[in-house]
Amino acid sequence: MVSAALVVQSLVLGVLLGGLYALLAAGLTLYFGVMRVVMVAHSAFLIVAAYLAWYFHLRTGLDPLLSLPITVPLFFAAGVAMQRLLLARLHPATRTMMSVLLTFSVAVVIEGALGTLFTGSQRRIQLAYSGASLELLGARVAVVKLIAFALAAAAMLALYLVMTRSRFGQALRATIQHPEAARLVGIPTDRVVGYGFGLGLATAAIGGTALALDSTIYPSLHWRWIGPLMAIIVVGGLGSVLGTAIAAMVLGMAMSLLQIPLGTTWAQTVFYLALFATLAVRPQGFFGGRLAKRF
Amino acid sequence: MNAKYRIERGIAVAIAIAALGSAGCGRGRKSGAGDPILIGVSLPLTGDFSEPGKGIQRGYEAWAKLVNDGGGLLGRKVVLKFLDDQSNADRVVSDYEQLIGKDKVDLVFGPFSTRLVVPAARVAEEYGMLFVEPAGAAKQVFEQGFKNLFYAAPAVASEHYNYLAKYLLALPEATRPTTAAYAAMDDPFAKGTAYGLKARLEAGGVKTLVDEVYPPSTTDFSSIAAKIAASKADIVVGGSQYQDGVNLIVALQQLSYQPKLAAFSTAPTEAEFAKAIGNKAEGILAPTGYTPQLKFPSNVEFVRAYTAQFGGPPGEDEANGYTTGQVVAAAVKAAGCAAQGECQGKLVAWVRANQVDTVVGPLRWDDKGRPQGAHMIQQWVKGKIQVVLPENLKEADLIYPKPAW
Repeated sequence: MVSAALVVQSLVLGVLLGGLYALLAAGLTLYFGVMRVVMVAHSAFLIVAAYLAWYFHLRTGLDPLLSLPITVPLFFAAGVAMQRLLLARLHPATRTMMSVLLTFSVAVVIEGALGTLFTGSQRRIQLAYSGASLELLGARVAVVKLIAFALAAAAMLALYLVMTRSRFGQALRATIQHPEAARLVGIPTDRVVGYGFGLGLATAAIGGTALALDSTIYPSLHWRWIGPLMAIIVVGGLGSVLGTAIAAMVLGMAMSLLQIPLGTTWAQTVFYLALFATLAVRPQGFFGGRLAKRF
Repeated sequence: MNAKYRIERGIAVAIAIAALGSAGCGRGRKSGAGDPILIGVSLPLTGDFSEPGKGIQRGYEAWAKLVNDGGGLLGRKVVLKFLDDQSNADRVVSDYEQLIGKDKVDLVFGPFSTRLVVPAARVAEEYGMLFVEPAGAAKQVFEQGFKNLFYAAPAVASEHYNYLAKYLLALPEATRPTTAAYAAMDDPFAKGTAYGLKARLEAGGVKTLVDEVYPPSTTDFSSIAAKIAASKADIVVGGSQYQDGVNLIVALQQLSYQPKLAAFSTAPTEAEFAKAIGNKAEGILAPTGYTPQLKFPSNVEFVRAYTAQFGGPPGEDEANGYTTGQVVAAAVKAAGCAAQGECQGKLVAWVRANQVDTVVGPLRWDDKGRPQGAHMIQQWVKGKIQVVLPENLKEADLIYPKPAW
C-alpha cells in the first residue's frame, strides 16, 4: 500500500520541481507576451547556463551559484542581441510561425556547439553538500533541491516586482497588452521588447544554474525540457506569468504524485495530457487573459 | 511491342549482372598457405557506442599484435580489417555483407552491443561463418536461433549476479535480507542484470517491494528514490549504466535511506565513481566480468603486452575483444584451417564441443551460444574496488551489512 509518508515526500518533491518549471516557463511566456514568438531555444540556453555553472565550478572550484553574476548579465545581453539581430527581422505577419523555425535552428546550433566543446558525456557538479538533506514536514528534502527552489522563487519574485513596480515593467506590460497604444503614449516599444526578451533569457541563466546543482547535464537534454515547458505555458494561458507559475506548480506536483502508481515513463505524459485537455476544453488556457484569446 | 521490349531489357539486365558478377569475382582474393589470414570486423567507431567500440578495437589489435609477434596463426600472419558502422544497425549489415561477400575475409569477429550484434549475426549465419562476439550479453541475442554465435565473456547479463544471489540466500536466517527494491534502466543489458538477481532472490523467498524501470534519458531520480526509501527494503539493486547509477545513489543518500546492501551494475566499476557520489562508495557492490588482476596465465601475458602497447591496463571491453580473438584462434588451431566455406563448419563444431582458456578464465558454451560461467562480484572495500566473490578469486572479504553512506 502507498504510505502517507511517500505521498508527502512526493508532494514536497513536486513543489520543488514545480518551482523550477515555473521560473523557466515564465521566461518562455514572456517572449510570447512581448513579441508573439515561440522560443524553442529557451531550454537550450538553459543547458548552456548549466554547462557554464558546471565549467565555472570545474575551473575555479568555487560554488556554482557564484557564476550567476557573470551569466545573468551575459544572458540578458544575449537576449537583447538575439531579439534585435534575429527575431526583429522576421516579418510581423508570419513571425509566430517563422520564430519556431528560427529558434529551432538556434537550439540545434547550441546543442552542436556544446557537444563539440564539452563532448556528449553526461556531467554532474559534485558539491560537498550534494548528498545532504533536511527534515521538513516529515519529508527528507535535499539541500541542493532547496537551494534550487529558493533561487527560482527569488527570481520569480524579482520578475514579479520588476513587472508590477518599475516604470520599465509598466512599459513592458503596456507593450504586451497593446503595442500600438503603447507607442502612441510614447513608449519606445522596440527597445522595451528587446529588454523583455533579455529578461526572459536571464531567467534561463538562473534556471540553468539551479538545474546544474542537482542534475546530470548533457547537450541534448534541452529537448526533454522544452515539451513540458510549452505545455505549461499553454495550460497557464499564453503570456500570463502568474498563470504559468500556477500551472507549473500543479503539473509538477501531478507528475511527482503520478510516479507512485504509474512509474517514471508514464508519469511524464501528464504534461501532454494536460495540453490536450486544455486545447479541447479551454484553448485560451486556464489563467490566460485577452491576449491568449486574441491569439 | 511492349512485351518484346521487356524481354530485351531483361536480357540486358541479366548480361549486366553477369558482367558485374564476374568483375566482382575477378577482384575477389584467393587465400593460399602463405597469405595472411584476413579477419573482418565492423565496429561502432563513431556515434553512440564509439567509446566501448574503440575499447573492443584496442582489444582486437592487442590480440593481433601478440599473435603476429609469436609467429602468426597456422604460420600465417593475421590482418584485421575494420569498418565503422557508426553505431547504426543498417550499416552493420552492409558492412558484414561487404566483408564476407566482397572482401572475402577468412574469419569475422563480432561488433559491439546487443542492437548491432543481432543484425550482424544474421548476416554471418547466412554465409555460414563462425561468429564469436565480444558484446551482446542480453538474453534476446540467444533467442534468435543462431547456430554459429558464441558470446566471448563469462556470463550473459541475467547471470551476472549469480554468486551474490547464492551468497545472500546462504546467509543465516537472522541476517538474510527479506525484502528488496529494484530500479533498472529500460535497456536489455542493464535490466537483464537486475532482473536476473530479482528472479533468483524471489525464488529464494526475498520479497520485491519496489520494481521500477526508467527510460535511458531519465536524469531526475528523486521520485524513484522516494519510492525505494519509503519501502524500507533491506537491499537495493540497480540495473544501471553509469550516470543513472550515480544519480540514483545520490538521490538515495539525500533521503537518508540506508540499505543493508547496494548492488549496481557497471557504474561502481568506473574509476571516477567514488568521487562522483561524494566518496561514500564503501560497501557498494558490482558484478564484473574482468579485472586486470586476474591470475589466469594468458591474462598476465595480455595485461603486460597491452600495457606496453597502449600505456595503461586494459578494461572489460578490451578484455572481451581479446577473448574473442583467443576463442577464434583456438578453433583455427584445432581445425587447422581459416577460410570461408567448409572450414567454418569445422570451427563452429569445435567451439561448441570444447572449452577455451581465456583471459577471463575457461569458457564453454551451451547450444544457444551462452557462456556457462558467472561474473565475479566486486565491492568497494577500504577505498578501492576489490573482488569479493567467488571465494577462490577474492581479494577482500565481502562486507555485509554495508556501512552507512
